[in-house]
Amino acid sequence: MTSNSTQSQTIPSADAKTSLALKVLSIWHIIFAIAGLAGTVMIWQSASDIADWIKAIVSIFLVLGATFSAIAVFSIRERKHRGRTISLVINYLGLLASFFGGLHTVGFFTGIDSLGETFSKGLPYMGIAFVGYLIGTIGDRYQKDHPGTAQKFRKTAQVVAAIGGVLFLFAVGIVPGTLSFISKFNSLIPILLLLGVIIFGIMVWLMWREPTRLAMHTKGKDQLMLEGYLFLSPNFIGFLFFFAGPLLFSLYSSFTDSDAFGNANWIGLANYQEIFNITIEPLEYADQLAKEVINIEVYDELSRFNFFGKDYVVGAEDQLFWISLGNTIKFVLLAVPMSVIPALLLATVLNSKLPGMKIFRAIYFVPSVAAVVGVAMIWRWLYNSTVGYLNYFITSFIKFVNSFAGSELLIDPQIGWTSDTQVALIAVAIMAAWQWMGFNTVLFLAGLQNIPGVLYEAATVDGANNWQKFWNVTLPMLAPTSFFVLTTTTINAMQIFDQVFVFTQPPGGPGTSTTTIVLYLYRQGFQNFRQGYASALAWVLFLLIFGLTLAQYMRQRAGDEAI
Amino acid sequence: MSTYRIGIFLRNLLLYITLTFFAFAMLFPFLVMVFTSLKEASDSYRFPPKLLPRAPITMAVEGYDEELPLYFVDFEGSQEEFVLVEKTVKVGEYAAPDQLDMTYIRELELVTETSGATTIYEDEEVPLYDITVDGEVVPMVRVDRTALGRFANPDDLSVTILQNLRSSEPVERLTWHPENYTEVVNLHGMDRALTNTALVTILVVLGQLVTSVLGGYAFARLKFPGRDSLFVIYLGTIMIPFVVVITPLYKLMILIGWVDKLAALIIPWIFTAYGTFLMRQFFITFPKEIEEAAVLDGASRLQILWTIFLPASTPALATLSTFTFLYAWNSFFWPLVVINTGNEANRVLTLAVSVLGGRAMDAPNLVLAGAAIAVLPPVIIYIFGQRYFVESSSSSGLKG
Repeated sequence: MTSNSTQSQTIPSADAKTSLALKVLSIWHIIFAIAGLAGTVMIWQSASDIADWIKAIVSIFLVLGATFSAIAVFSIRERKHRGRTISLVINYLGLLASFFGGLHTVGFFTGIDSLGETFSKGLPYMGIAFVGYLIGTIGDRYQKDHPGTAQKFRKTAQVVAAIGGVLFLFAVGIVPGTLSFISKFNSLIPILLLLGVIIFGIMVWLMWREPTRLAMHTKGKDQLMLEGYLFLSPNFIGFLFFFAGPLLFSLYSSFTDSDAFGNANWIGLANYQEIFNITIEPLEYADQLAKEVINIEVYDELSRFNFFGKDYVVGAEDQLFWISLGNTIKFVLLAVPMSVIPALLLATVLNSKLPGMKIFRAIYFVPSVAAVVGVAMIWRWLYNSTVGYLNYFITSFIKFVNSFAGSELLIDPQIGWTSDTQVALIAVAIMAAWQWMGFNTVLFLAGLQNIPGVLYEAATVDGANNWQKFWNVTLPMLAPTSFFVLTTTTINAMQIFDQVFVFTQPPGGPGTSTTTIVLYLYRQGFQNFRQGYASALAWVLFLLIFGLTLAQYMRQRAGDEAI
Repeated sequence: MSTYRIGIFLRNLLLYITLTFFAFAMLFPFLVMVFTSLKEASDSYRFPPKLLPRAPITMAVEGYDEELPLYFVDFEGSQEEFVLVEKTVKVGEYAAPDQLDMTYIRELELVTETSGATTIYEDEEVPLYDITVDGEVVPMVRVDRTALGRFANPDDLSVTILQNLRSSEPVERLTWHPENYTEVVNLHGMDRALTNTALVTILVVLGQLVTSVLGGYAFARLKFPGRDSLFVIYLGTIMIPFVVVITPLYKLMILIGWVDKLAALIIPWIFTAYGTFLMRQFFITFPKEIEEAAVLDGASRLQILWTIFLPASTPALATLSTFTFLYAWNSFFWPLVVINTGNEANRVLTLAVSVLGGRAMDAPNLVLAGAAIAVLPPVIIYIFGQRYFVESSSSSGLKG
């Protein structure tokens, strides 16, 4: 308190301009408070086609805004820094809302589509702008010895880049675009929003000014907080709107029977119950029909097993979930070792000081940058059972072995990679492992290069051979990297979708042999339109991934403590 | 000592063989893609498969309206390239009754029966034919008849030879069919898809750089209440799989009218926790003194960020751009959900390739040309910026 009063003594009293600004701000906040309440009433009174929950959210914001606006009026009167903070937050949010709302109503965002049409015409001019950038980088070379030349280069670069940029804008149609936006200002809402942008903008500026800041006694720490949230705001607001909000909604949605047409009823845990509902019934004899022991109106037969000489049948309400879960687990068990173990071995080889290792590293990484869709197309062709390379290589190899042995030692399997339910998932796993291996190799290599050489020297002194060094030095020291590689690969593998969707025909086939959880979720959500159920599936998948990661983390921690 | 050296040499040889094997396995599918995309459709169905695009060559020959295919023939003991002038020439195989294993091939049309003479061949009475061998007419029986192709020397059409067409090997040359690409672009709207993908990728990368730099700076350098708990929340969400938000995000897109719009592929993707995290981790390594001096000089936060932090952040910006670029360029699931596959105007490359794969299933050359358009730009950028890509991935592993 004392420090506050001393501060106010040292600060010169606000000049007339600032007092006027604060008066304007106070009046604005009174108007805003009243308008906010009036707006809330209007929203509920006017029988518009807006959904109730949107009305509710808007009302909450308006009422909160009005309340805080009223508080701000008093705080500004008393020149408390809290008033400045509240005023800034309200006006800043108002500015953002009216700005983006305005862009939305004049069709700015959907207008990106027409940019897609004209964008290619602008590309040459973008090239000019890029040339400008290159000129600038050439100029940087002279920075040390001839600063004058560098300056000239920089000027030229700026001019060239600016010309390129302007030409680009014209080429992609900034004139018709702007005209079309302007033509939208013929109704009330865009004009109101434009007015909002102007007023909120002025209010933010009035309050943000240095003299106002001093007059409102804002200390460095409070200013820092404002700046912190200001910098974070673009990211944070977008994050709330496009990720955190949908995330919470997804959780809510998983407890409803929400469909794609806006109907949703709260059904509690019914979705989860349907997912996990299974039954196990004993059979009188092994080949007994399932319908004789389980209620086939609810359950589909999933599998049978023999336990201590007694046969049982397992039925599941959502048979496909369990099948896709099984396929996903099988896929993880196939693809993760196939992409991690060779990667570790290759990385240890690449870590040797032999020449040419960088080239190999670069080559191994190539599949990681390619689009999964394209890769799946390539592999579909490689896997072709009659003219594909894979079967050709296998046939050639078998012929070679047979001619060597002089008899039909091996039989050509002629694998139907994409048509055989037994191998389709393996085919997808090989393809995925091929694509992930290089990335994992690079990660392992980075981990290996961080192991201090002293450890190996010490091991050599102790008389350890290469294998012992690998086992006792490399692997333990590599544990954090291995954890990261295993975790990310597992997480990716659990969410396998693109590969299956593009590679298998029909997606998930043949039969259900490659239907994975995410593919099943996609079907439920976007083909059967059971979006509530799809959300529940997504949360189940998330919990599975979370559990797996946690388990791996615990194991790694335990390993760390053991060392 | 020398055995030790041989041991080292053998070990290195083995290592290089292993490395080369894997390098081959990594590159081979791409080679198949590029070369198949330059083939004719029929050429891609050849067995055993051949990597390079080859096609039989044809030749314009005087007196024939169409170009004639060229084949390898054995002519007087040497291999020559002759044109096929007649596909089926009916011929008979003739042999003297007392010397059945010496057969002569003559055209049926040019052979006349020996008048009235017959003989018993394989328990049947068959006619004898006059066959001229070395200027001498010998009566022979016809032991077989078949059809052969007539091949002629393209320089002198009177020099001809009969040879089995099926077993003749056509003369092939490497023939590239870059028109596959124009066909894919014109008939399957691949040009628009390429533009859309480029536009989406550029905007996502730029947008994400802006929001991540600002957010990362706030998390790393500005101390404000609630910062650390917010950061923990950000970190936590990195682990949440995208599919968890896919249905509500789709509903949000319906609500704001972005379904089937490019905006849906751009705007939601420029606010990511991962990018913010990456920039924060980088900015936090800067020494405090630099910033404090600038603050004392009266520089604003934005000036500090722009003049002090950004110029020194090229590695982090490159890392973020690299990952975002790859993610935006290659993403498939979200475009599949939000862009109607029938909407050719707003299709991105990955969608277009997937549609092409279904539509032109019997023309692998076209499908792989489409795949190449989607796959090659990132690969080419990778070749130039190889160091950034690889080092970005390495650093992502160390931080995790």
